[in-house]
Amino acid sequence: MADREMITIEIDGKSVSVEKDTTILEAAQSIDIYIPALCSSELVEPYAACRLCIVEVDDGRKTKLVTSCNYPVRRPIKVYTSSKKVLRNRKITLEMMLSRWPNVQVIKDLAKNAGIEKARYQHPAVDLNPNACILCGLCMRICEQGIWENIINFTNRGAERAVRMPYDSEQPHCVGCGACAEICPTGAITMVDDPNQPYDAEMIRKAGMRITKEMIKYDEEQCDMRGVGTAHLVEIMDAYDLLPVMNYRYGKHEETPKISSDIFRKYFTKGKPDGCWLGCTMACAKAIEDFELKTGPYKGEKVLVDGPEYETLGGSSNMGIFDPYFVAEYNFYCDTYGLDTISFSTGTSFVMECYEAGVLDKEKTGGLEIPFGAKDAALELLHQIGRGEGFGLIVGKGIRYMKKYFVENFGADPDFVFDIGMEAKGMEYSEYVTKESLAQQGGYGIALKGAQHDEAWLIFMDMVNKQIPTFEDKAEALHYFPMWRTWFSLCGLCKLPWNDVEPADNAETDEPAKVPAHVQGYCEFFEGVTGKPQTMDSLIRMSEKVYNFQRVFNLKMGFGRREHDVIPYRSAGPVTVEEYESRQERYDTQLREDVGIDPTGMSSEEKVAATRKFREAQYEHLLDAVYKRRGWTNDGVPTVAKLIELGVDFPDVIELVKKHGG
Amino acid sequence: MITVNGITLDWYEGKTVHDVIQEMNYLFPLLIARINGKLIPRNKYDSTEIPDEATVDIIHLMSGG
Repeated sequence: MADREMITIEIDGKSVSVEKDTTILEAAQSIDIYIPALCSSELVEPYAACRLCIVEVDDGRKTKLVTSCNYPVRRPIKVYTSSKKVLRNRKITLEMMLSRWPNVQVIKDLAKNAGIEKARYQHPAVDLNPNACILCGLCMRICEQGIWENIINFTNRGAERAVRMPYDSEQPHCVGCGACAEICPTGAITMVDDPNQPYDAEMIRKAGMRITKEMIKYDEEQCDMRGVGTAHLVEIMDAYDLLPVMNYRYGKHEETPKISSDIFRKYFTKGKPDGCWLGCTMACAKAIEDFELKTGPYKGEKVLVDGPEYETLGGSSNMGIFDPYFVAEYNFYCDTYGLDTISFSTGTSFVMECYEAGVLDKEKTGGLEIPFGAKDAALELLHQIGRGEGFGLIVGKGIRYMKKYFVENFGADPDFVFDIGMEAKGMEYSEYVTKESLAQQGGYGIALKGAQHDEAWLIFMDMVNKQIPTFEDKAEALHYFPMWRTWFSLCGLCKLPWNDVEPADNAETDEPAKVPAHVQGYCEFFEGVTGKPQTMDSLIRMSEKVYNFQRVFNLKMGFGRREHDVIPYRSAGPVTVEEYESRQERYDTQLREDVGIDPTGMSSEEKVAATRKFREAQYEHLLDAVYKRRGWTNDGVPTVAKLIELGVDFPDVIELVKKHGG
Repeated sequence: MITVNGITLDWYEGKTVHDVIQEMNYLFPLLIARINGKLIPRNKYDSTEIPDEATVDIIHLMSGG
């Protein structure tokens, strides 16, 4: 971060030091000097249309009138905001405005302040509407610059000038975000009430607009969700040794820059935001247009690829493939075949490791030579899965099936394939390395649907920040976050606006990781729809009922006990000597400091075994703490008391949990 | 010596929050920095010097799916 050049200027005799290129208006606002301005907003670029913000500038050689909203400070100057010349010119402008829009409150107020009660003449196009459009252009500018759309703009010229949608038609691309109505200073644009008749549409819009404002102001410097979506996480995960490489053996790779977000930024169509649903201004979905396929049934055709998102990219590094064209191709065909990119890539990573370890060979794969990095073979396997034939028929059934199949039919060592087959409850792991975060191992292992991070993503909190050092701390996090995230699913809401943009004052809150202002916003969404006021606690309570009910459902289906929360050892630590030695300094230090064993003189095999013994015990302790926090038995079954407390003590539920010691 | 997220780092006169973030290769954008518990605003990372023996927390928030 280069030091920024600071310049000291004087405004109405007050001295202020500002960064070079700060506008005079911003400088004045920073020291509470008021300059009237109608067409200015921090959410859009300066426009200098209303001319009310004029000030007189003395640069030491001459004085001149300038519009303060777009005049950048580049040298020491003296500024006068209320000189005779300024006041005279401002008054002339305001009288002209008042003559055209005599009943618009904001104009009346400003004119009155300038000493005008009534214009001395009438504009030929006078508009008596108190909510008349004053042509400040804020609406069309926030649409273009803030929302990255172009739904409304000026039409006609002179007295006929007006803001319209193209050809006076309804614009089908309008997402109804409400930004134009929010920014309009006169009320000329209003939102039509929702036909769903929510309890309080205004409450919902205001909560949504707060997110929109944050997106406009901060997204580019924060997560750049509108620019590249979740792809921005690729290089970040690599930097923290968390990007899965070669079936989660490693967390970074020298070729990661080849599939980083900067590479995809140039492929993403026109840099446009692409919301999943109308009104979303986070708009993180991305697409690649005119991508020419090189394989499969659509070979040679140019198609639109919906993505890639982070998980698809992390899946590629997990297969040891660092080629953006491969990523786009496998992304497209997974979508086309109705396959999940996570399950395909994690499953194929497992196949690749089995191939390299000799569990598989060309004969067993039906001729596929498929070590890590074999992109052509990976695509052929994908097409086989899509067609439901050959080796693809086995792989398509998932890792849990493959493990059993490889043991029974190919003589695979069950311990080895169970250690490296990255699934829990039959679902493939998503794309994060969890070895150094015990809490995240629990996040994957205990998750009701299987190994997915969308119940809890605690790696930074645990591994980097070291905010949750004890088992009880981790258990608390594994209570709050899964309940909170369950609430999004419960209401059909996206979680990304919760924590992929951050309010300016979030750091000053007691619990910034929870982003309290955004939780409050979700409370308002709920109240705005239903009329029932909510708090952070009541939302969690809502989820807790459902979450426990789902756990009981898992129990009924044979997945709801401690034995089902088991994780593959690769999730907790290094399975092979090669993995251990790749991060030897880290693991040796942990043996010494955390386990209390001096690794000097120990073979790598012995160190792998000692590390494993320690980490497996840690995971069991974690389960104990989490079950206790959640009000479950030590076997992971919700207790009768807990179900009564939550009001989900239906007779068949109670009967079932009692059978399992609940 | 200073402690950053529980890790000991060398200290030198004039070491700033920005220097620590670079040294630790903290690429993630949603960070909160505290020196001995005191919050440091983001626009002051490159001008805030860390005293010797300080405890520095660089809190990473969460993002992504």
